[in-house]
Amino acid sequence: MMTLLRGKVAYVLKLIVVLVISVVLLMLTQHAVAQREYAIAIFLAIAVILIAFTYLTQVSVPLKFFIPGLLLLFAFVLSPILYTVVMSEFNYKTGNILSKQQAIEQIISRAVEPDANGTSFDIKIGVSNGVPAILASDTINKQYFLATEKSRIDLTADQVTLDANEVAATAPNFRVLTPTEMQTADTKYSNARFVFGKTGYFVTLEGFDVGVVSHQVLEYLPDQGIFKSLVDDSVYRDNGRGNFALTTDSSNMLSPGWRAPIWFENYTKLFSDSKVRGPLIRVFIWTMVFATGTVLTSFALGLLLAIAMNKPMRGRRFYRSILILPYAMPSIMSILIWAGMFDTEFGAINNILGTHIAWFQNASFARLAVIFVNLWLAFPYFYLISSGALQAIPSELNEAAAIDGANPRQIFRKITLPLLLQILSPLLIASFAFNFNNFNLIYLLTGGGPRNVLSGEIAGGTDILISYTYKIAFGSNTQDLGLASAISVVIFVIVAGISLYGLRKSKVLETFK
Amino acid sequence: MKKWLRENSWRHAIGIFICLFSIFPLYLVVISSFNPSGSLQLTSFIPKVFSWNNYHTLFKSPAIPYLTWMKNSLYIAGSVALISVMIGSAAAFAFSRLNFTGKKLGIQLLLLVQMFPAILAISAVYVIMERVHNFAPDIGLGTQPGLLLVYLGGAMGVNIWLLKGFVDSIPMELDEAAKIDGASAVQTFWLIFVPLAAPVLAVVTLMSFIGTFNEYILARLFLVNMDTRTVAVGLQQFIGGQYSQNWGPFAAGSIIASVPIVIIFLSLQKYIVSGLTAGSVKG
Repeated sequence: MMTLLRGKVAYVLKLIVVLVISVVLLMLTQHAVAQREYAIAIFLAIAVILIAFTYLTQVSVPLKFFIPGLLLLFAFVLSPILYTVVMSEFNYKTGNILSKQQAIEQIISRAVEPDANGTSFDIKIGVSNGVPAILASDTINKQYFLATEKSRIDLTADQVTLDANEVAATAPNFRVLTPTEMQTADTKYSNARFVFGKTGYFVTLEGFDVGVVSHQVLEYLPDQGIFKSLVDDSVYRDNGRGNFALTTDSSNMLSPGWRAPIWFENYTKLFSDSKVRGPLIRVFIWTMVFATGTVLTSFALGLLLAIAMNKPMRGRRFYRSILILPYAMPSIMSILIWAGMFDTEFGAINNILGTHIAWFQNASFARLAVIFVNLWLAFPYFYLISSGALQAIPSELNEAAAIDGANPRQIFRKITLPLLLQILSPLLIASFAFNFNNFNLIYLLTGGGPRNVLSGEIAGGTDILISYTYKIAFGSNTQDLGLASAISVVIFVIVAGISLYGLRKSKVLETFK
Repeated sequence: MKKWLRENSWRHAIGIFICLFSIFPLYLVVISSFNPSGSLQLTSFIPKVFSWNNYHTLFKSPAIPYLTWMKNSLYIAGSVALISVMIGSAAAFAFSRLNFTGKKLGIQLLLLVQMFPAILAISAVYVIMERVHNFAPDIGLGTQPGLLLVYLGGAMGVNIWLLKGFVDSIPMELDEAAKIDGASAVQTFWLIFVPLAAPVLAVVTLMSFIGTFNEYILARLFLVNMDTRTVAVGLQQFIGGQYSQNWGPFAAGSIIASVPIVIIFLSLQKYIVSGLTAGSVKG
């Protein structure tokens, strides 16, 4: 074995693996460059160099152990964190998703209007000499022409054959698209501008059967960085926030916009914009109440159980194996099961209570249900850590107190509980931090609801910060990634603060001093 | 007798009461999975008729590719667990056994990173993987390999941290002996450390498996196609808030998906409980 690891075979194998990985990564790098994703390309290129450097030389032995983990950590944990911070500085939302260059191209291709008479033709789309072409028919004047993006050829009536609607269907050098070609042809044809023959005018498609004579109404002047109207004298200027806005009316903006840096505006919005601040404060308060409430209730139940079971007794093993079941179940499944049990019409909860409560339609009931379900999910964890901690408390302490005449209640209040809290406080804090971001529970149980749909408010009665953020980023009609990222950064600062406080308590950091 | 009653009866009362609380929803799911009507409404808590109807629907209905979902979950969670422990154990070994500059800083950074809730950066992950999709459609957004990579990255922090804790507790004598015999660090890792730590590595692999199996939101965001979904996303989408209609098959599906996890968990109980204080799987 030793010789194998040292031998030539091992070396060749290593060489092959390193080469294969490098080749794959280099190919990806090339694709990334081709798509102008330079940041990703640079990362991939550095990864290749690092891998080759580490495994083909003897410069650093520790790096040989770290490189795979380090690269993965950087790619999928650190860079998303950094990117979140970057995104929070941008006006990055629906309507402002593209880069500036892409946005300009889009504006140009969208700034097209039909000519004053609204001239249109019945058309067939197809291919002529290998390029996209249309066969246009003026059925009233019996005039026909074949147009590509480069040229227009007028056709006489005897050069074409007409279909039942008097529309030219065939012509020399022209082949109509088959239905299967039609399905994939969309982008190639819908953005194309076919020659019409009059300066400034061209034919664009409206569906697959109608061609409209159109002209460009906006023109981009790259040296001044403005859009100028070709119809009147209005001018659209970069408003510094990711849109071109009319100089005389800044609320009139061209669409689409692009993602533009707005620095701290997403953050100041959290405090100054009442539409954002109101729901955010409500959600934050509920997040704190939920995280505190759920830790306290589950800890109380777990501790009670641990005290009850903290003595050799018949059936303890049996109890224990049943008590741990809620913790052993995949939590996603349990949450969905509970969601069914809280169903208004047929759920088991209303069935047993003999009530007819619409649990998830009323904010207070929904909140109760959330804390109750999390109590079920989490109490075994607190039972396990509490019984561990109880056993760690030396029994001499209790005995000494008993000799001094303290009754069991006094012993518990004055000795056991303070010691327990001291041992467990790092874990309680960690649990608080976990529940602060307990997305699955909220999202799968209540979906954050109930919420007032009519007011257009996206924060619901049980939404915690993280589920609210998720909704801002993905869950509503306007996806505001910039604002969501800003809230994420704030949450991270809070959670990191809580966790560091917990760590200091647990003295893990001391081992490094 | 009287003394026994006073000292123990309340303990048993609490034990029984909380056991009922624990078992109640699970019991309900089990009996509704065997309820022929498949509805959420239970007429009685003691089953009168027993049927495999719901299980039959689950495996036969073309609307629920349940077996595919299970296969996807096992494949994704299995690969993530195996690969991340392989990579993570190497890093943990280096942190624990090798000396190099910046080691202290590295450990502190690791500590910070493993605390970071992955879900916070989810929109950034989404945007980044969307871009990756532009030039490499096979590993970008919407693909299982893409999800796997994101999971692997996310698993690194916690796994390295957890493994480092375990590795620290393995006595140094053996690898020092190997060093004296002239073994290099790489050889010590493969020939001494891996065989020695095999049980620990197995435990962390299984714990990582459970963690990945339980992941919902990234899987939901990444896997749009019916046939690529994991069992958690599949069942959640299948039930789609319509608890009354699809309850029976859902109950059956959730039981089948949970059994392996519960078995793994119960058999690892000892390790998981000792790992709890180190801050592991969930809680």
